[in-house]
Amino acid sequence: MSPPAALRAAGLVKSYRRGRAVDGVDLTVALGERVALLGPNGAGKTTTLLMCLGAVTPDAGTVEILGHRLPRERSHALARVGFTAGYLPLPERMRVVEYLRLYARLAGLRRPDVAARAALDRFGVSHLARAMGTELSSGQKTLVGIAKAVLHRPALLVLDEPTASLDPDVALRVRTGLREISAELGTALLVTSHNMVEVERLCERVVFLSAGQVVANGTPAQIIDRYGHDDLEGVFLHLS
Amino acid sequence: MPTIEVYHGAAASFWRVMAIARRHAYVLQRSPHRLFDIIVWPVVDVILFGTIGVFAAGRLGGAGQVALYLLVGVVLWHVVYQAQISLATGFLEETWSRTVLSLLVTPMREWEYVAGVALFGLVKLLGGVGAVALIAWAAYAFKITTLGWGLIPVAALLLAVGWAIALFVIGLVLRFGSGAEALAWGILFVVMPLSGTFYPVSALPAVLRPIGTLLPTTHAFAAGRAFAQGAATPWHELGLAAAGTAVMLALGFGYVVWMLRVFRARGFVTRYS
Repeated sequence: MSPPAALRAAGLVKSYRRGRAVDGVDLTVALGERVALLGPNGAGKTTTLLMCLGAVTPDAGTVEILGHRLPRERSHALARVGFTAGYLPLPERMRVVEYLRLYARLAGLRRPDVAARAALDRFGVSHLARAMGTELSSGQKTLVGIAKAVLHRPALLVLDEPTASLDPDVALRVRTGLREISAELGTALLVTSHNMVEVERLCERVVFLSAGQVVANGTPAQIIDRYGHDDLEGVFLHLS
Repeated sequence: MPTIEVYHGAAASFWRVMAIARRHAYVLQRSPHRLFDIIVWPVVDVILFGTIGVFAAGRLGGAGQVALYLLVGVVLWHVVYQAQISLATGFLEETWSRTVLSLLVTPMREWEYVAGVALFGLVKLLGGVGAVALIAWAAYAFKITTLGWGLIPVAALLLAVGWAIALFVIGLVLRFGSGAEALAWGILFVVMPLSGTFYPVSALPAVLRPIGTLLPTTHAFAAGRAFAQGAATPWHELGLAAAGTAVMLALGFGYVVWMLRVFRARGFVTRYS
């Protein structure tokens, strides 16, 4: 029996009315590993992530998080998972600190205020604690969303397009914060992004999806070598 | 770095329920227009039906009965209304604010979420029914306490029916999306006339009487009127109401669980992200 990984998904298949979105994807993220899931729009990245998080039920295949099988052990599994997505808004009628306290409580934390403060401090946005969600810029919302995802120091952090539409300064702050979390807490990362530079700087391994299938899997350097391009962007264009 | 201490088991569930209730308290606090459901409609209803009752009492011999029927009916109706609307719109708030996906990807169990929204719904219910009872007493000298201890089982049954209907509405929204949200308000106005809220079910057109008789609300309202008139405890009506409520709750839970399964299987969460 293999040791528990942060995430182990095997043979994931998902079809919608318009066709097959994910077609036999195997995806493993080791404890503490930083993995990027790449691919063009419609490649099946978000559907794969949502299946790995139990929000969408696969037509076939299995998902295990830290040895907990979905959907049976969903609650135990998700207690160790953090998630945010660049496209998810903050609730309009809550202050940042209230929002963070809510998710800290949902994660079962005994001291939600302490966790909220620590998460805001980590991303340098403590001054936003009393702000309403609607008062934040898109960059600030992203930082608060990531702070929410790391409140409970998850073993697996899943981020869907976390830095989409961020300016370089905020994107750098996000990347730095994520690398620190991964190094300090041993948190595994699974990230989707269209920013290839960011992926090369942040992730140790890259999984390329195209038309719902894994078409490449390796370190950024291996993949760049294999396809004979100068960087991941070239590979991305090649595989898309 | 501070250490992380975590609740497990029942304590974790308790705090999740409280967190969801609190989240909805913030929503109400910062959305004054939501008070319309809790204060304005109840006050409008009690004035409308109370005044019709007083008018009828003045015109018809022995029509004090009519006023009693209307006032008992409107106060008890708001137990169903507030219970249903608070739970159904509580879930709708998650769809409006696009927090469904974020909530799904937490360790929270479905029952913890429902319990949290229902718990805060009880606060709203106390506000709404309190407003109705207060106006009924101040404007029409009708005391809800005339129902005596019988008020407790009748209100509890109506509360449970309200939640059962709300679960059905949530199931429809999960399955059909935002298009079904009008049912959060509309469905009650189908239930109300069929339930003999303001009249005995025998007053309904013959074709509708069997439907009315099947609804637990019909028997709960009949029991409420019996208590208000000082009659003997209407065990038969209470028994029918309890049995019907149990069936409705089971159907409501079953339906919402089924629709949640469909919601996950068809990837409908992307509608709200």
